[in-house]
Amino acid sequence: MSIAPPPPPWSGRRRRTVDVIGAAAVLGVAVTVWLGLWVTPPDQHLHDEVRLVYVHPPIAWVALYLAFGLAALSSVLWLWPRTRSGAWDRLAVASMEVGTVFTALTLVTGSIWGRATWGVWWAWDARLTSTALLLVLQLGYLAVRRVPADHEARARRSAVVALVAAVDVPIVHFSVDWWTTLHQGGTITNPNLSPTIHGAMAWTLLLGFVAFTLLFVWLLLVRYRVVVLAEWREDTELALALHERWAEGAPRAEPVAVPREGTVPAPPAGVGATESVGPAARG
Amino acid sequence: MGYIDAGYAVALSVLVGYGAVLWQRRRRLEALRDEAVARERR
Repeated sequence: MSIAPPPPPWSGRRRRTVDVIGAAAVLGVAVTVWLGLWVTPPDQHLHDEVRLVYVHPPIAWVALYLAFGLAALSSVLWLWPRTRSGAWDRLAVASMEVGTVFTALTLVTGSIWGRATWGVWWAWDARLTSTALLLVLQLGYLAVRRVPADHEARARRSAVVALVAAVDVPIVHFSVDWWTTLHQGGTITNPNLSPTIHGAMAWTLLLGFVAFTLLFVWLLLVRYRVVVLAEWREDTELALALHERWAEGAPRAEPVAVPREGTVPAPPAGVGATESVGPAARG
Repeated sequence: MGYIDAGYAVALSVLVGYGAVLWQRRRRLEALRDEAVARERR
Protein backbone atom coordinates (compact mmCIF):
# COMPACT_ATOMS: atom_id res chain seq x y z
CA MET A 1 0.00 0.00 0.00
CA SER A 2 1.42 3.43 -0.94
CA ILE A 3 0.34 6.33 1.24
CA ALA A 4 1.33 9.89 0.38
CA PRO A 5 3.99 11.19 2.80
CA PRO A 6 2.80 13.97 5.11
CA PRO A 7 3.57 17.45 3.76
CA PRO A 8 6.51 19.16 5.49
CA PRO A 9 5.60 21.56 8.29
CA TRP A 10 5.76 25.33 7.87
CA SER A 11 9.35 26.46 8.28
CA GLY A 12 10.11 28.83 11.16
CA ARG A 13 10.56 31.68 8.70
CA ARG A 14 7.24 31.05 6.98
CA ARG A 15 5.44 30.74 10.31
CA ARG A 16 6.91 34.06 11.44
CA THR A 17 5.91 35.69 8.13
CA VAL A 18 2.33 34.47 8.53
CA ASP A 19 2.25 35.71 12.13
CA VAL A 20 3.64 39.14 11.20
CA ILE A 21 1.15 39.55 8.33
CA GLY A 22 -1.71 38.45 10.60
CA ALA A 23 -0.70 40.86 13.36
CA ALA A 24 -0.28 43.74 10.88
CA ALA A 25 -3.68 42.97 9.36
CA VAL A 26 -5.46 42.90 12.72
CA LEU A 27 -3.74 46.12 13.81
CA GLY A 28 -4.47 47.81 10.47
CA VAL A 29 -8.15 46.87 10.51
CA ALA A 30 -8.49 47.93 14.17
CA VAL A 31 -6.92 51.36 13.45
CA THR A 32 -9.10 51.75 10.33
CA VAL A 33 -12.22 51.08 12.42
CA TRP A 34 -11.10 53.52 15.12
CA LEU A 35 -10.27 56.27 12.62
CA GLY A 36 -13.34 55.54 10.50
CA LEU A 37 -15.86 55.59 13.33
CA TRP A 38 -14.44 58.14 15.76
CA VAL A 39 -11.65 60.30 14.30
CA THR A 40 -12.52 61.26 10.72
CA PRO A 41 -14.95 64.16 10.20
CA PRO A 42 -18.46 63.60 8.80
CA ASP A 43 -19.02 64.36 5.11
CA GLN A 44 -20.67 67.60 3.95
CA HIS A 45 -23.45 65.74 2.10
CA LEU A 46 -23.50 62.19 3.45
CA HIS A 47 -22.82 63.22 7.08
CA ASP A 48 -21.99 60.18 9.23
CA GLU A 49 -23.20 57.76 6.54
CA VAL A 50 -19.89 58.33 4.77
CA ARG A 51 -18.10 56.23 7.37
CA LEU A 52 -18.77 52.98 5.52
CA VAL A 53 -16.46 54.25 2.79
CA TYR A 54 -13.50 53.04 4.86
CA VAL A 55 -14.78 49.45 4.81
CA HIS A 56 -16.96 48.84 1.76
CA PRO A 57 -14.60 49.87 -1.09
CA PRO A 58 -11.54 48.11 0.43
CA ILE A 59 -13.57 44.88 0.84
CA ALA A 60 -14.85 45.22 -2.74
CA TRP A 61 -11.28 45.82 -4.00
CA VAL A 62 -10.15 42.56 -2.39
CA ALA A 63 -13.17 40.60 -3.63
CA LEU A 64 -13.29 41.79 -7.21
CA TYR A 65 -9.75 42.54 -8.23
CA LEU A 66 -7.33 40.87 -5.85
CA ALA A 67 -8.98 37.56 -5.03
CA PHE A 68 -10.67 37.00 -8.36
CA GLY A 69 -7.65 38.23 -10.32
CA LEU A 70 -5.38 35.85 -8.45
CA ALA A 71 -7.79 32.93 -8.88
CA ALA A 72 -8.11 33.61 -12.62
CA LEU A 73 -4.36 34.02 -13.09
CA SER A 74 -3.65 30.80 -11.15
CA SER A 75 -6.23 28.99 -13.26
CA VAL A 76 -4.57 30.16 -16.49
CA LEU A 77 -1.18 29.07 -15.17
CA TRP A 78 -2.61 25.66 -14.30
CA LEU A 79 -4.22 25.27 -17.73
CA TRP A 80 -1.05 26.36 -19.56
CA PRO A 81 0.91 23.09 -19.99
CA ARG A 82 4.32 24.71 -19.47
CA THR A 83 3.44 26.17 -16.09
CA ARG A 84 1.06 23.45 -14.88
CA SER A 85 1.57 22.70 -11.21
CA GLY A 86 -0.67 21.59 -8.35
CA ALA A 87 0.37 24.75 -6.51
CA TRP A 88 -1.57 26.93 -8.99
CA ASP A 89 -4.71 24.88 -8.48
CA ARG A 90 -4.38 25.14 -4.70
CA LEU A 91 -3.78 28.88 -4.94
CA ALA A 92 -6.83 29.26 -7.18
CA VAL A 93 -9.20 27.49 -4.80
CA ALA A 94 -7.76 29.26 -1.75
CA SER A 95 -8.12 32.65 -3.42
CA MET A 96 -11.61 31.87 -4.70
CA GLU A 97 -12.90 30.77 -1.31
CA VAL A 98 -11.51 33.78 0.55
CA GLY A 99 -12.75 35.98 -2.30
CA THR A 100 -16.25 34.54 -1.95
CA VAL A 101 -16.39 35.67 1.68
CA PHE A 102 -15.27 39.16 0.62
CA THR A 103 -17.82 39.28 -2.24
CA ALA A 104 -20.61 38.34 0.16
CA LEU A 105 -19.43 41.09 2.52
CA THR A 106 -19.27 43.56 -0.37
CA LEU A 107 -22.94 42.89 -1.03
CA VAL A 108 -23.94 43.00 2.65
CA THR A 109 -22.06 46.20 3.51
CA GLY A 110 -23.23 47.76 0.23
CA SER A 111 -26.80 46.84 1.03
CA ILE A 112 -26.55 48.39 4.50
CA TRP A 113 -24.97 51.50 3.04
CA GLY A 114 -27.70 51.62 0.38
CA ARG A 115 -30.37 51.49 3.08
CA ALA A 116 -28.70 54.38 4.92
CA THR A 117 -28.16 56.62 1.88
CA TRP A 118 -30.63 55.53 -0.83
CA GLY A 119 -33.36 54.33 1.51
CA VAL A 120 -33.50 50.80 0.04
CA TRP A 121 -31.72 47.57 0.93
CA TRP A 122 -31.48 46.44 -2.68
CA ALA A 123 -32.00 47.77 -6.20
CA TRP A 124 -31.70 45.85 -9.46
CA ASP A 125 -28.93 48.18 -10.43
CA ALA A 126 -26.26 47.01 -12.92
CA ARG A 127 -23.41 47.18 -10.40
CA LEU A 128 -25.34 45.39 -7.67
CA THR A 129 -26.79 42.76 -9.96
CA SER A 130 -23.48 41.94 -11.67
CA THR A 131 -21.81 41.66 -8.24
CA ALA A 132 -24.56 39.32 -7.05
CA LEU A 133 -24.01 37.25 -10.20
CA LEU A 134 -20.31 37.12 -9.36
CA LEU A 135 -21.13 35.69 -5.94
CA VAL A 136 -23.30 33.01 -7.56
CA LEU A 137 -20.46 32.16 -9.96
CA GLN A 138 -18.00 31.91 -7.09
CA LEU A 139 -20.35 29.61 -5.19
CA GLY A 140 -20.66 27.57 -8.39
CA TYR A 141 -16.89 27.27 -8.55
CA LEU A 142 -16.77 26.02 -4.96
CA ALA A 143 -19.58 23.54 -5.72
CA VAL A 144 -17.63 22.20 -8.71
CA ARG A 145 -14.63 21.70 -6.41
CA ARG A 146 -16.72 19.40 -4.25
CA VAL A 147 -17.68 17.07 -7.09
CA PRO A 148 -15.65 13.89 -6.51
CA ALA A 149 -12.86 13.45 -9.07
CA ASP A 150 -9.13 12.89 -9.21
CA HIS A 151 -6.91 15.93 -8.67
CA GLU A 152 -6.27 16.63 -12.34
CA ALA A 153 -9.88 16.40 -13.51
CA ARG A 154 -11.02 18.58 -10.61
CA ALA A 155 -8.29 21.15 -11.28
CA ARG A 156 -9.13 21.29 -15.00
CA ARG A 157 -12.87 21.79 -14.61
CA SER A 158 -12.36 24.30 -11.77
CA ALA A 159 -9.91 26.32 -13.84
CA VAL A 160 -12.37 26.45 -16.74
CA VAL A 161 -15.20 27.55 -14.42
CA ALA A 162 -12.94 30.25 -12.90
CA LEU A 163 -12.13 31.65 -16.33
CA VAL A 164 -15.76 31.62 -17.40
CA ALA A 165 -16.69 33.41 -14.16
CA ALA A 166 -13.88 35.95 -14.68
CA VAL A 167 -15.81 37.38 -17.63
CA ASP A 168 -18.15 38.96 -15.08
CA VAL A 169 -15.38 41.01 -13.40
CA PRO A 170 -14.99 43.64 -16.16
CA ILE A 171 -18.78 43.78 -16.39
CA VAL A 172 -18.94 44.63 -12.68
CA HIS A 173 -16.17 47.20 -13.08
CA PHE A 174 -17.58 49.00 -16.12
CA SER A 175 -21.25 48.58 -15.22
CA VAL A 176 -21.36 52.11 -13.79
CA ASP A 177 -20.05 53.51 -17.10
CA TRP A 178 -22.05 51.31 -19.46
CA TRP A 179 -25.42 51.77 -17.77
CA THR A 180 -27.16 54.45 -15.78
CA THR A 181 -26.93 53.16 -12.25
CA LEU A 182 -27.95 54.10 -8.76
CA HIS A 183 -24.46 53.14 -7.65
CA GLN A 184 -22.02 55.99 -8.09
CA GLY A 185 -19.34 55.84 -10.74
CA GLY A 186 -15.62 56.22 -10.23
CA THR A 187 -14.83 59.17 -7.98
CA ILE A 188 -11.14 59.47 -7.14
CA THR A 189 -10.01 58.33 -10.59
CA ASN A 190 -12.57 60.44 -12.44
CA PRO A 191 -10.73 63.37 -14.13
CA ASN A 192 -13.98 65.32 -14.64
CA LEU A 193 -14.73 65.45 -10.94
CA SER A 194 -11.25 66.30 -9.57
CA PRO A 195 -12.58 65.61 -6.06
CA THR A 196 -11.06 67.08 -2.95
CA ILE A 197 -10.99 64.98 0.18
CA HIS A 198 -10.06 65.79 3.76
CA GLY A 199 -6.60 64.48 4.64
CA ALA A 200 -7.80 62.32 7.53
CA MET A 201 -10.44 60.75 5.30
CA ALA A 202 -7.95 60.08 2.49
CA TRP A 203 -5.40 58.47 4.79
CA THR A 204 -8.01 56.38 6.56
CA LEU A 205 -9.32 55.17 3.21
CA LEU A 206 -5.80 54.30 2.10
CA LEU A 207 -5.14 52.50 5.39
CA GLY A 208 -8.37 50.56 4.88
CA PHE A 209 -7.16 49.34 1.48
CA VAL A 210 -3.79 48.28 2.93
CA ALA A 211 -5.30 46.63 6.03
CA PHE A 212 -7.91 44.59 4.15
CA THR A 213 -5.29 43.58 1.56
CA LEU A 214 -3.06 42.31 4.38
CA LEU A 215 -6.02 40.48 5.89
CA PHE A 216 -6.69 38.84 2.53
CA VAL A 217 -3.02 37.75 2.24
CA TRP A 218 -3.11 36.24 5.74
CA LEU A 219 -6.38 34.39 5.08
CA LEU A 220 -4.99 33.20 1.74
CA LEU A 221 -1.82 31.79 3.31
CA VAL A 222 -3.76 29.93 5.98
CA ARG A 223 -6.34 28.66 3.47
CA TYR A 224 -3.56 27.49 1.14
CA ARG A 225 -2.02 25.49 3.98
CA VAL A 226 -5.42 23.97 4.75
CA VAL A 227 -5.75 22.93 1.09
CA VAL A 228 -2.31 21.25 1.18
CA LEU A 229 -3.13 19.35 4.39
CA ALA A 230 -6.66 18.45 3.30
CA GLU A 231 -5.40 17.03 -0.01
CA TRP A 232 -2.84 14.90 1.82
CA ARG A 233 -5.53 13.67 4.22
CA GLU A 234 -7.92 12.94 1.37
CA ASP A 235 -5.24 10.89 -0.45
CA THR A 236 -4.31 9.03 2.75
CA GLU A 237 -7.93 8.20 3.56
CA LEU A 238 -8.50 6.99 0.00
CA ALA A 239 -5.41 4.77 0.13
CA LEU A 240 -6.48 3.33 3.50
CA ALA A 241 -10.05 2.75 2.29
CA LEU A 242 -8.78 0.93 -0.81
CA HIS A 243 -6.44 -1.15 1.34
CA GLU A 244 -9.34 -2.11 3.61
CA ARG A 245 -11.52 -3.03 0.64
CA TRP A 246 -8.78 -5.21 -0.78
CA ALA A 247 -8.28 -6.85 2.60
CA GLU A 248 -12.03 -7.53 2.85
CA GLY A 249 -12.11 -8.92 -0.67
CA ALA A 250 -9.24 -11.37 -0.20
CA PRO A 251 -11.22 -14.37 1.18
CA ARG A 252 -13.79 -13.99 -1.62
CA ALA A 253 -11.13 -14.81 -4.15
CA GLU A 254 -12.15 -18.47 -3.77
CA PRO A 255 -14.19 -19.92 -6.68
CA VAL A 256 -17.90 -19.14 -6.51
CA ALA A 257 -20.52 -21.42 -8.03
CA VAL A 258 -22.02 -19.75 -11.11
CA PRO A 259 -25.45 -20.94 -12.32
CA ARG A 260 -25.46 -22.46 -15.77
CA GLU A 261 -26.92 -20.39 -18.61
CA GLY A 262 -30.68 -20.65 -18.84
CA THR A 263 -31.17 -21.71 -15.28
CA VAL A 264 -32.27 -19.51 -12.44
CA PRO A 265 -31.25 -20.40 -8.92
CA ALA A 266 -34.19 -20.95 -6.59
CA PRO A 267 -34.87 -17.83 -4.52
CA PRO A 268 -34.78 -18.10 -0.75
CA ALA A 269 -38.08 -19.09 0.83
CA GLY A 270 -40.60 -16.24 0.78
CA VAL A 271 -38.68 -14.13 -1.72
CA GLY A 272 -40.06 -13.58 -5.21
CA ALA A 273 -42.76 -16.22 -4.71
CA THR A 274 -45.25 -14.38 -6.90
CA GLU A 275 -42.81 -13.17 -9.55
CA SER A 276 -41.93 -14.99 -12.76
CA VAL A 277 -38.25 -14.60 -13.56
CA GLY A 278 -35.98 -16.06 -16.20
CA PRO A 279 -36.27 -17.69 -19.61
CA ALA A 280 -38.56 -20.47 -18.36
CA ALA A 281 -41.17 -17.94 -17.26
CA ARG A 282 -40.99 -16.10 -20.57
CA GLY A 283 -41.35 -19.32 -22.54
CA MET B 1 -25.21 55.80 13.07
CA GLY B 2 -27.24 52.60 13.45
CA TYR B 3 -26.73 51.34 9.91
CA ILE B 4 -23.08 52.29 9.85
CA ASP B 5 -22.37 50.50 13.11
CA ALA B 6 -24.25 47.49 11.77
CA GLY B 7 -22.13 47.52 8.60
CA TYR B 8 -18.90 47.53 10.60
CA ALA B 9 -20.20 44.87 13.00
CA VAL B 10 -21.25 42.49 10.21
CA ALA B 11 -18.01 42.91 8.25
CA LEU B 12 -15.75 42.46 11.25
CA SER B 13 -17.64 39.55 12.81
CA VAL B 14 -17.77 37.62 9.53
CA LEU B 15 -14.07 38.14 8.85
CA VAL B 16 -13.03 37.28 12.41
CA GLY B 17 -15.31 34.22 12.39
CA TYR B 18 -14.01 33.00 9.04
CA GLY B 19 -10.40 33.54 10.13
CA ALA B 20 -11.01 31.63 13.37
CA VAL B 21 -12.63 28.71 11.54
CA LEU B 22 -9.71 28.53 9.08
CA TRP B 23 -7.14 28.72 11.86
CA GLN B 24 -8.90 25.99 13.83
CA ARG B 25 -9.14 23.78 10.73
CA ARG B 26 -5.45 24.25 10.04
CA ARG B 27 -4.55 23.34 13.62
CA ARG B 28 -6.68 20.19 13.49
CA LEU B 29 -5.07 19.09 10.22
CA GLU B 30 -1.58 19.94 11.51
CA ALA B 31 -2.27 17.73 14.54
CA LEU B 32 -3.24 14.84 12.23
CA ARG B 33 -0.10 15.43 10.20
CA ASP B 34 2.08 15.41 13.34
CA GLU B 35 0.38 12.19 14.42
CA ALA B 36 1.13 10.56 11.05
CA VAL B 37 4.78 11.67 11.20
CA ALA B 38 5.12 10.25 14.73
CA ARG B 39 3.49 6.98 13.59
CA GLU B 40 5.91 6.73 10.67
CA ARG B 41 8.89 7.24 13.00
CA ARG B 42 7.68 4.45 15.29
